[in-house]
Amino acid sequence: MKYFVPLFLFIALCGSCMQEQDFNQFENLSIRPTITSSILYIETTEEFINSVVPGAFYAEEFNFDAFTEDFFAEGVLSGVLTYEVENSTSKTIEIVIELLDENGIVLDTEPILVEPAPPVFTKMVEIAYGPGGRSIDIIKNTSAIRVSAQNLSDDTSISNELDPKIILRSSGTFKVELK
Amino acid sequence: MRLQNLIVVFLLLDCSSILAQNKQLLYDFMEVPQALMLNPGARATYQWYGGIPMLSGISAAAGTSGVTVNDIFANDGIDITTKIRDKAIFGMNFRDEISGTIQFEFLNVGFRSKNRPSDFYSFGMYLEEDMITYWPQDLAILGFEGNANYIGSRFNLEHLKVRGEVVNVFHFGINRKLNNTLRVGVRGKLYSGILDVSSTSNSGYFVTNPGENNLLANTLVADVEVRTSGIDGLVEGNQGVSQTFLKRALLGGDLGLGLDVGFTYRLNNRTLITGSLLDVGFIRHTKDVKNYTLKGSATNEGISIILPGDLEDPNRDFWQELVDEIEELIPFEDNRNSYINFRPTKLNASLRYNFGEPLASEEDCECTSDGGGLKGRQPEYANSVGGQLYMINRPRGPQAAFTAFYMRKLGNFLALKTTYTVDKFSISNIGLGMSMQAGPVELYAMADNLLGYRNVYASQYASFQFGLNIISWGRK
Repeated sequence: MKYFVPLFLFIALCGSCMQEQDFNQFENLSIRPTITSSILYIETTEEFINSVVPGAFYAEEFNFDAFTEDFFAEGVLSGVLTYEVENSTSKTIEIVIELLDENGIVLDTEPILVEPAPPVFTKMVEIAYGPGGRSIDIIKNTSAIRVSAQNLSDDTSISNELDPKIILRSSGTFKVELK
Repeated sequence: MRLQNLIVVFLLLDCSSILAQNKQLLYDFMEVPQALMLNPGARATYQWYGGIPMLSGISAAAGTSGVTVNDIFANDGIDITTKIRDKAIFGMNFRDEISGTIQFEFLNVGFRSKNRPSDFYSFGMYLEEDMITYWPQDLAILGFEGNANYIGSRFNLEHLKVRGEVVNVFHFGINRKLNNTLRVGVRGKLYSGILDVSSTSNSGYFVTNPGENNLLANTLVADVEVRTSGIDGLVEGNQGVSQTFLKRALLGGDLGLGLDVGFTYRLNNRTLITGSLLDVGFIRHTKDVKNYTLKGSATNEGISIILPGDLEDPNRDFWQELVDEIEELIPFEDNRNSYINFRPTKLNASLRYNFGEPLASEEDCECTSDGGGLKGRQPEYANSVGGQLYMINRPRGPQAAFTAFYMRKLGNFLALKTTYTVDKFSISNIGLGMSMQAGPVELYAMADNLLGYRNVYASQYASFQFGLNIISWGRK
């Protein structure tokens, strides 16, 4: 018994050491993951380009609802759209990528001039949105992407590269505030 | 109304954040009848007892093997996002858990057989809430950091492991003294499941790699299932929450069977070995079952267009086709298939050595005591020391706790027990328990990890037990 009483007293005295807590700081919690994904891949052969008279040979508008999903549109803070073009054809091509809102209004335009092979031409373009870049509202309101391509060369030349193509690759990397 | 019901359900489950509680203070504390619930073969020396309804057998425990409240909410001037990132997101791993248990005893009665005095019967009903959530390490990192800086890293869906249940238990136990050295017991249990949530056998991963065609490829391979019963009925049901809850508690829920077994073996007059296996059983969930599954695999490299073939249909919606394709490859579905959950089985064992002043024993003995006990009675002593082992079967395998204890009896009115326990929550868990008797009324109170009360917010484990009983020891 003589040991229990001091032990109880010891524990009781320790009870006064509780550290102050601030549960309101939960309001300051910030969860901002950075997510990335491919967006669009377009591939065409030189044969197809030659089958069309020089000039605009491709234009397509894609429904793209990923940016208008609520969690994304409401929380996106900044980001980068990355376009990579690889050209092994003999053509000089101009690719124009446009971001459109739900009414078809063009929000952003990015022309990319693609030089002919050889050698295989590769170009990477990164467009920043948000602080220090273009308005993040462009991304928030984008619900469609229009891609058009124009052949600035002839319709007869043939590249010496194996299986000549022009390829557009793209991805987006965005910081999204979840809380 | 549905929202209100939903809130009640989640509060019930949240409050029950449990891990079936290690009751090392109560184990083999035979001055308290509730010790029979931990070992049906314990030395029941009462003539009869009855717990005061709603005031006996109350216990609760909560533990975290990782981050504590103090780690996150201490008023220390450090940004909370930094604290969560350092202490939780990257400070915990998938083996860390947040768990807890609550138990309410509604009825607990025991009595000695008149025809066979070596038998002691006990029966009753208690409500148990139990939940364990393992830290979903990879999913937490993915949610907090995103995938952009983790190209090539797999986020493991197996880290998602959660189990929770609210169950009402009806039980009946027989405790029999076989001879002077061995006492055994068995307790049958009928479970009436009220709520159940479990997601314990998940597999798969999410990974972002450089793409084969496009810049990146996001791959999801998933075999995830969340099984629930009782929740859908409480949330969507037309009856009130309390009515539905009561109905399910009183055998209108998912039914199951279980068994407890235990023994006490007296090695000699001073040394005892005890052991018990609790909740060997199952519950079959058939009512208000709703399960959710996500099974399949898919790799996404964005919208892919190969010209000129893909120009044939100018009205194609490539985005919707992509979404549909992914949903077809990894369908998120629900079903109402019944399922069986096995109860978290627990093992208790102890070695106890009695010493010091001999006391008047409650237990008759056919022996002639030569170990310091009183002739004609099993020897009892004022002091006991020993060790205990507790193990429980959890979703990530067995967990163990080791306890050393010292027990002191002061006459017939006061018994004290102190324990030192090492487990995954703490290596400095000191507990104290007390049983005080005034006439037939017995009060007990127990709490452990007392050093944690220096700053309870920083404590990784806390538990208490409390009860009020009427006991007849049948002293002659």
